[in-house]
Amino acid sequence: MKTGKYDAVIVGGGISGLMAAIDLTRKGRRVAVVSKGDPICCLSTGCIDILKGVDSPRDGICDLPENHPYHLVGAGGLDRAAGLFVSVMKEAGLSYVGNVGQNRWILSPGGTRKQTALVPESMAHGNVEENETLVVIIFKGMKDFFPGYVTAKFQNADVYEFDPGNGSTLGIATKFDDPAFQEDFFKWFKSQKISKGKIALPAVLGTKPQVFGELAQKLDRKIFEIPTLPPSIPGLRMFKALKTCLQDAGADLYWGRSVESVEKDGDAIEAVTLAGIGRSTRIEARAFILATGSFVSGGLYARQDGVVKESVFDLPAYVPENRESWFGHNFFETGHGIEKAGIRVNGSFQPESTGIPNLFVCGSILAFSETMKYGCGHGMAIATGVTAAEKCEDHLA
Amino acid sequence: MNTEFEHCIRCTLCVENCPVFRVDKDYPGPKQAGPDAARFRADNEAPVDEWVRKCAQCKRCDVACPYGVNPSELIQEAQVRYSEQHGKGLAATLFSRNYYLGLLGSLFAPVSNAVTGNKGMKKLFRALGISTYMTFPRFHFHTLSRSWQKKGKGKRKVVFFHGCYLDNNSPDLGRSMTGLLADLGIRVKVPKQVCCGVPALANGDLKLAKRFAAKNASILAGYIDRGYDVVYACTSCGNALTQEYPGVLDPPEGKKIAENTYDIHEYILMLMEAGEIKPDFAPVKKRVAYHIPCHLRSMGIGYPAAKLLRMIPGLTLQIHDDNCCGLSGSYGFKTTFEDNATHLGRIAGEAILERNPDLLISDCGACRMQLKHFTALSTMDPTELLRLSLSNKPCPSLTH
Ligand SMILES: Cc1cc2nc3c(=O)[nH]c(=O)nc-3n(C[C@H](O)[C@H](O)[C@H](O)COP(=O)(O)OP(=O)(O)OC[C@H]3O[C@@H](n4cnc5c(N)ncnc54)[C@H](O)[C@@H]3O)c2cc1C
Ligand code: SF4
Ligand code: SF4
Repeated sequence: MKTGKYDAVIVGGGISGLMAAIDLTRKGRRVAVVSKGDPICCLSTGCIDILKGVDSPRDGICDLPENHPYHLVGAGGLDRAAGLFVSVMKEAGLSYVGNVGQNRWILSPGGTRKQTALVPESMAHGNVEENETLVVIIFKGMKDFFPGYVTAKFQNADVYEFDPGNGSTLGIATKFDDPAFQEDFFKWFKSQKISKGKIALPAVLGTKPQVFGELAQKLDRKIFEIPTLPPSIPGLRMFKALKTCLQDAGADLYWGRSVESVEKDGDAIEAVTLAGIGRSTRIEARAFILATGSFVSGGLYARQDGVVKESVFDLPAYVPENRESWFGHNFFETGHGIEKAGIRVNGSFQPESTGIPNLFVCGSILAFSETMKYGCGHGMAIATGVTAAEKCEDHLA
Repeated sequence: MNTEFEHCIRCTLCVENCPVFRVDKDYPGPKQAGPDAARFRADNEAPVDEWVRKCAQCKRCDVACPYGVNPSELIQEAQVRYSEQHGKGLAATLFSRNYYLGLLGSLFAPVSNAVTGNKGMKKLFRALGISTYMTFPRFHFHTLSRSWQKKGKGKRKVVFFHGCYLDNNSPDLGRSMTGLLADLGIRVKVPKQVCCGVPALANGDLKLAKRFAAKNASILAGYIDRGYDVVYACTSCGNALTQEYPGVLDPPEGKKIAENTYDIHEYILMLMEAGEIKPDFAPVKKRVAYHIPCHLRSMGIGYPAAKLLRMIPGLTLQIHDDNCCGLSGSYGFKTTFEDNATHLGRIAGEAILERNPDLLISDCGACRMQLKHFTALSTMDPTELLRLSLSNKPCPSLTH
């Protein structure tokens, strides 16, 4: 293996950038990922939303407005990306269920049913019918979960309380990693003589992927996790699985530093330099993938004067002209107009009208993605990540 | 006062990464202990937040935060303030002076080893607030500083910053490291030096830490001016030299030190990339678990040893960078934190054993000590594995 120049450097370690990196390393490319900090997927439910409000996300993407990035991916691209994601998770011991051709439901912490496409095995039984008989197990002292939301919507729900000796999601999940604690929990469960209904618990059943399966087997009942407010354990499990997969494949991670400057050779990008307190770290590559996320992760930022900037390469960013249209009244249903802002790309996922031959863009930083409005967060990130990596591979080959 | 806390959007990404929060229900985590509490910490009010001491200063929260808040720095300020007002406690006072203890320990090595290994002494240690779940690191008389040396004849000149652990407790390993550099044709000198300052800082003694930093900085800057680069192998020393010297410890030459100081693997890689050296790696057929020390992570330079080790044919590297070993320098040696330290040690150890490796490596002597205890694997420094591959014969000191 050579030192020095990487084949590709991915800027931004979210689900999109990590999937792009995984795709390239599996094709034998030398890859590095640079990330300023941990990504949004760590805070998420761990479920892959592809497109909401339709039966089949795979078919539904055809009906999106013509500038939506999904059109650059296509149904075939979506299949490949979702397939890669599910197989990577499986290798890490984290099974996912569902498919891109059929949306499904999970129970949300608000007691409502949330539509999504691919779900971790631990939420497979979250596919509950209205008014189904449920048993909700809560944990004493746990601040970030409110069973009242569930019982308000499900009249046939009983609530049982177990005392885990720690009130935080992370603390309880860590306890569940320990077989002795699992055994205590199991004994308590038996003593409660719960006769019927699916068993619902907040998502704290172990930080390790295998814990859920072990517990489900022991309890021998239909059990499922309800996602919690962040910190989110299913999100964390997914992120760690992605990261481990990448490191096993030999990719280098540079975490906790943002890109400070960019060097060009003519139109092409030659190297990025990471901000450092002392000497800064310079990383050269033949190609770069930008996956720094949208406003929330700092990939985009808005200036006081209404100009939206891209933070690493200073690419031209699209922003809806009329500032009145930036904000709507029903964020969770229709999102905000400003969500349209981002980088416009051509069919090869290269930023439009920049002439940079070796830069590709993916994930929520793409213009017109409107992830809240379309309920397409991780799905769009994975699909564009893998497709951008394929285009990058074409460029490298 | 540091006002980075204004950038906190309360996302909890830092909390997800905090090892102490995972295992200690009485520690509120970096978000609350850092930016949230910082809003209420007034300079003229006595600190009351005793729990800030529970923070192990692993800096995982800083690495996780995408918004440039460094919770660990805010917490460290609060720790120093708390210690200044309420006293440090005996164990912390002792550990902040580990440099002097180390000097004594190595001068009287046979006696100190007998003392630290003795059962009766263990009782006394506990009474002093020092935990005894592991045997103490051994002291050696032939420290690095006492076997003052100059090696190699190449055009690159480096001074080797060994820090306390290599000097007092693993001098053979230190000599093997300088040997590795010399074998690669680099001129190595071991200069006079004192403790990097981290133990004092971690135990709430900012003044002492600054004194150590000032002394080292002036010595090292003298060498830098004469064309030397500084190379370290202990990642906590490295974190001090490159992150804390130009930061909280602030000696006049801090910036110069940070700009001219390299991780030993980073340095070797740099010379390889410049085409100055061309090491020839022989196969080592082993599955190697690599525990990434928290203070290597926090420097943001990636994992240079991993890059080098991946060039060794036949070697499978399993990277473990999600767990703090729990010892965190002297944190776990204090009885107050022993439960946290042993719980975290078990977690990190189990994660390593799950992947069934042949041996365990880590750049940090304290991590190796702790994880050897919790895994019973043989442990090595990454440089030893490199030497093994480069010399193609077994390394003399296979376990530390
Ligand atoms: C709270 C929350 C919960 C969500 N839950 C779900 C869910 O359950 N299911 C779902 O499908 N979708 C969910 N979404 C949407 C989804 O999380 C995102 O759309 C998706 O994860 C975006 O991924 P990304 O890789 O594009 O970007 P991000 O995850 O935003 O990652 C970008 C990365 O780039 C890094 N970065 C930024 N700037 C720089 C720089 N200058 N240099 C280096 N690195 C940089 C950041 O630190 C970050 O790690 C949720 C969103 C939020 C906000
Ligand atoms: S300190 Fe950073 S990571 Fe922690 S909650 Fe605040 S913004 Fe999030
Ligand atoms: S430095 Fe480590 S122990 Fe302290 S708050 Fe941050 S993550 Fe937690």
